[in-house]
Amino acid sequence: MANRTQSKQETRLSLVPAPVAGLLSLLVPGLGQALARHVYRGVLLLVSLGSIVGLLAWRVQLLAHREEGPLAMLVKALQRRPSFVVAMLLGVVALWLFIAWDAYRLARPGRRSAPGVFVLVFLLLFVLGWQITEIDVYKAVNELADVWPRLSQILWPWEAAFDEITEVVSAGADIQVPCTASPPSPPEEIPGQPYVAAEPTCGVLSEQDENYASILGTVLTFTGRGFAPNTEVEIWWIDPLGNEFRVRQEGSYVAAETDDQGAFEIEVIMPYRLIPTTGERAQMHRIEARQVSQVVGVQPSEALRLIIERMIETIMVGMMATLFGIVLSIPISLMAARNLMSGSWVTMALYYLVRTWMNIVRSIEPIIWALIAVVWVGLGPFAGFIALTLHSIAALGKLYSEAIESIDPGPIEAIQATGATRLQMIAYAVVPQMIPPFVSFSIYRWDINIRMSTILGLVGGGGIGFLLIQYIRLLDYRAAGIAVWFITITVAIMDYVSAEIRQHFV
Amino acid sequence: MLEVKKLTKVYNDGTVALRDVSFTVEDGEFLIIIGLSGSGKSTLLRCINRLIEPTEGQIIWDGVDVTQADPTQMRHIRRQIGMIFQQFNLIKRSSVLTNVLAGRLGYVNPWSSLLYHFPQTERAMALQALERVGIADQAHKRADELSGGQQQRVGIARALMQQPRMILADEPVASLDPVLAHSILGYLERLNKEEGITILCSLHYLDLVQRYATRVIGLRNGRIVYRGSQEDVRRMTDEEFREVYGAEAERVSVGLTGEAA
Repeated sequence: MANRTQSKQETRLSLVPAPVAGLLSLLVPGLGQALARHVYRGVLLLVSLGSIVGLLAWRVQLLAHREEGPLAMLVKALQRRPSFVVAMLLGVVALWLFIAWDAYRLARPGRRSAPGVFVLVFLLLFVLGWQITEIDVYKAVNELADVWPRLSQILWPWEAAFDEITEVVSAGADIQVPCTASPPSPPEEIPGQPYVAAEPTCGVLSEQDENYASILGTVLTFTGRGFAPNTEVEIWWIDPLGNEFRVRQEGSYVAAETDDQGAFEIEVIMPYRLIPTTGERAQMHRIEARQVSQVVGVQPSEALRLIIERMIETIMVGMMATLFGIVLSIPISLMAARNLMSGSWVTMALYYLVRTWMNIVRSIEPIIWALIAVVWVGLGPFAGFIALTLHSIAALGKLYSEAIESIDPGPIEAIQATGATRLQMIAYAVVPQMIPPFVSFSIYRWDINIRMSTILGLVGGGGIGFLLIQYIRLLDYRAAGIAVWFITITVAIMDYVSAEIRQHFV
Repeated sequence: MLEVKKLTKVYNDGTVALRDVSFTVEDGEFLIIIGLSGSGKSTLLRCINRLIEPTEGQIIWDGVDVTQADPTQMRHIRRQIGMIFQQFNLIKRSSVLTNVLAGRLGYVNPWSSLLYHFPQTERAMALQALERVGIADQAHKRADELSGGQQQRVGIARALMQQPRMILADEPVASLDPVLAHSILGYLERLNKEEGITILCSLHYLDLVQRYATRVIGLRNGRIVYRGSQEDVRRMTDEEFREVYGAEAERVSVGLTGEAA
């Protein structure tokens, strides 16, 4: 044992004396180690120091990009992030000296290498990593409070899932634009119905001049009676094209409050409205008062209906991709099983071809494939289906082929020995062995595909992800929350179901 | 009658498993092949029904050269030769009955059998075969639920379904304990004596060889190094034993519990 250690040390004898190795490493970090017959260590240390200095230079440049010249940049960076820059500068100098000392140590006879210098390398990379990833604990804690209102909308979004079904009473009056010699007369009053009247019954709409300054239209005195008492009345405008909208003034909706008798009076500025001109003729607009009289029920909101539709689409995309993936991956997996393809060089070439194809397709995430498929077949679930199917074929092909490779050859020879045909051999010796891994992998893939299909919509691959990203961009956190809930519930159910099925078969 | 003439097997990697092996087996013999692991016993047995393709030489079975048989002829030859294995080679997830019926694959309609359909007569025959090896009550269990000894009995029942004229047994008891080993070889001996089925069996344990063989051949490095009758084996000398099992081998008088090497 002692002899062996001795001989090992002899082969590691340094080419240069220890002080020389140390000095050389001071000039060119790592050179001393290389000459002390630790070439790999020397190269590694040189590369480490080089990349740390390079990364530091990059960060300093980012911190002081307006400054000219390295020194000015360094000073500016020191002002902005003193602790980071000082720590890194000291660290780099310390590492440089440490490398020199490490070379000196290694070059002395009988010394074994110690990992200390790599601890310092890792420490410096950690500090750089902290700065580059912009980790900010203070910010994370501080802004937690601000996110709560939005987060609570996502966590409990169900207010947005249902709309009230309401009964509305309304009454309206015609307004002529612009005024002619014979303006419309006020509407006739029908007993028992709400009644409104505008004064005057004609006028001009609000406009903008060439500097986009507002020129206000005619002010109407809008009165009504016969409404429910002490309740809000919404003021709506209907243009000759039939477009309805609530009248806004200074950024908020115009609304009146009825008195004890159910009557109201409010001044309404005729709104801004761009209407195609119809020659000389005056156009007839309409002003309406609307009041919600009672709530008669609730119905699913538009968002909820859309989300359910997209969720079904999502599940179907996942299901179809799994089915096509399973069917198409079977021939692929046969071509990728070494024990089936080792017959001749032609089959082996096919084997390597298929394996390479599978490895490439599998290493690209489905979401990237979805991006490509969107270019190919356009936005929608078909693109998501293509992306998932491609990835499934490659992933399942690999799993199946490995299952084929690992089947027990014993039953195969036993069935062959009975005088069975090749097909009988496959039916009796190969298929029974393939069923458990086949079922297990297929269900596993189904699970993955459902989960994947929920996010493929983010890049336009159809399904619920498409809605989710839209709602987030519109800051509609409640609707986004409903989508997240549906995704979570679906995935959880799929998880449970697939585990159950797998347990049955394996 | 089985005649093996100058049989040689060279594997693709250059390993010579059998060199110029020649011997004759008369109908009704219980021939035991002895030899160390890697001496070529398994290769020899598998060459006879061409699970392994021989490189050179002839195998004459009932006047037909097996090595020249086309695939259809080969299947007809195979179905008359039952085979049992050290690892039983059952289809683990299928029922015992299905495993036994699989022995009938060479006889039944190849297309309907793909759907696991067998005529009623075949099913009755399978149950009868299970009865003969004493495990008819296990017919509907999964094969891997049985113990090792029971699994090997299923293997024998499967071979019986072939109505074989010869059974090749590749180390049939190497995975079993001594008591079970005697029981399994007992079944083979009964088939040999009562129905005149020729048995070719490779074995490790000298005691079992001395108990069951009517004739013995010894293989070493792919060559036949020993030929002896039942009496010769019972009187086998240490020199002869070493000739087969190698210079370093000890005679295993206790036998059943240890391997000979």
